[in-house]
Amino acid sequence: MNDPPVPQQPARHLLESATLPCGADVDLLLEQVADGRGADLDDHQQECVHCQAAIAELAALWQPVTDLAGDPVPAPPGITATVMNQIRTLVHDVWYTLQTTDLGSIRIAARIVATLARDTARMVPGVRVALGRSTQGRLAALAERATFGHRHPHAAVGVLGRTAVVDLAVAVSYGDPVHQIAKAIQQHVIAELRDNLGLQTVVVNVTVDDVLTDEDGQ
Amino acid sequence: MMARRMQSGAEVGDAYLVARAREGYLDAYELLVQRHSAMTYRVALRLCGNHHDAQDITQEALIAAWRNLDRFRADSSFSTWLYQIVTRQALNKVSRGRRADSLDLFEDVADPGAETAAQTERNLAVDAVTDALAALPFPQRAVVVLHHFEGLSYAEVASVTGSTVPAVRSHLFRARRTLGIKLQEWR
Repeated sequence: MNDPPVPQQPARHLLESATLPCGADVDLLLEQVADGRGADLDDHQQECVHCQAAIAELAALWQPVTDLAGDPVPAPPGITATVMNQIRTLVHDVWYTLQTTDLGSIRIAARIVATLARDTARMVPGVRVALGRSTQGRLAALAERATFGHRHPHAAVGVLGRTAVVDLAVAVSYGDPVHQIAKAIQQHVIAELRDNLGLQTVVVNVTVDDVLTDEDGQ
Repeated sequence: MMARRMQSGAEVGDAYLVARAREGYLDAYELLVQRHSAMTYRVALRLCGNHHDAQDITQEALIAAWRNLDRFRADSSFSTWLYQIVTRQALNKVSRGRRADSLDLFEDVADPGAETAAQTERNLAVDAVTDALAALPFPQRAVVVLHHFEGLSYAEVASVTGSTVPAVRSHLFRARRTLGIKLQEWR
């Protein structure tokens, strides 16, 4: 025995109708198709040629939307640097280390100190995440107080001269010896800042504020 | 010698990074930007329709989020909060009368000479969806983008748009029909 002929449902007519001849709600059928459930036919739809034809038509109609939604959209190159540069400008994060040599002066932005310290800390075994900010201790605190009210509350105070105080917030792996990791961070960061930036007095404050298991961040 | 290990912060949750960013750790916020900039740009692109405005919106949204970190309530996710901000920024931009041109991310780099028939067809489809989407009133466009492009549930869309689930569903019903009619005309 042959199947009954499938009724043709021109899309336009279909979309201007509230219901199909069988009484099915067109909005609900379109919702079903657009949500990717077009193949999940209920008991009525499995028997109804009107519904099956409408679902097929609507699925073809909606396919370009599904295709476009599935296209990967990467972030524009450099967007992170652009955003962070603007934010650093907003917080006036422009403190520098200053060294005077026979050839002139060398300035290194505080954020470079913080970044180098952070990246060094991240290489210490047991460290899962490290975040850095640099301060210059008493001098920077005075400067910060003097400019209080003009600075954004999220401002990181930088370094001055050849002295730096670096604050590091780190998260470590569960089970690793925390105090040994913290000590290793201090030693490596101090050595790195002295060797690479020529800073003479470096204080590294390490705050271990999270312990992560292997499941964290999965 | 110390093991060379690179961490990008992918292992910690947004809540941890938000808390550190509030304390002044700018690189905590930098990790959040790295993590969410693609989503922010994607939503902006779908809502405003062209690359240049989308880039502006992305920057404005990510800076606005940082400025308002102290207003972020930990009972919602950072991404939901960011969806709210980017949607609002896009609405502001669209309200200022910018024209939506295309959702095709690769419009600037496409080489027409190298296009195959399939690519041409694909580009036409992209343009058709782009035009249909751009013709929707912003509230309908927003719910389509958030639900059908970003995969947010009705409840999440309602949370982002400050609406209700029935209202979101109603917007979606109307938007789908309008999109369907436009796409049918294109076919």
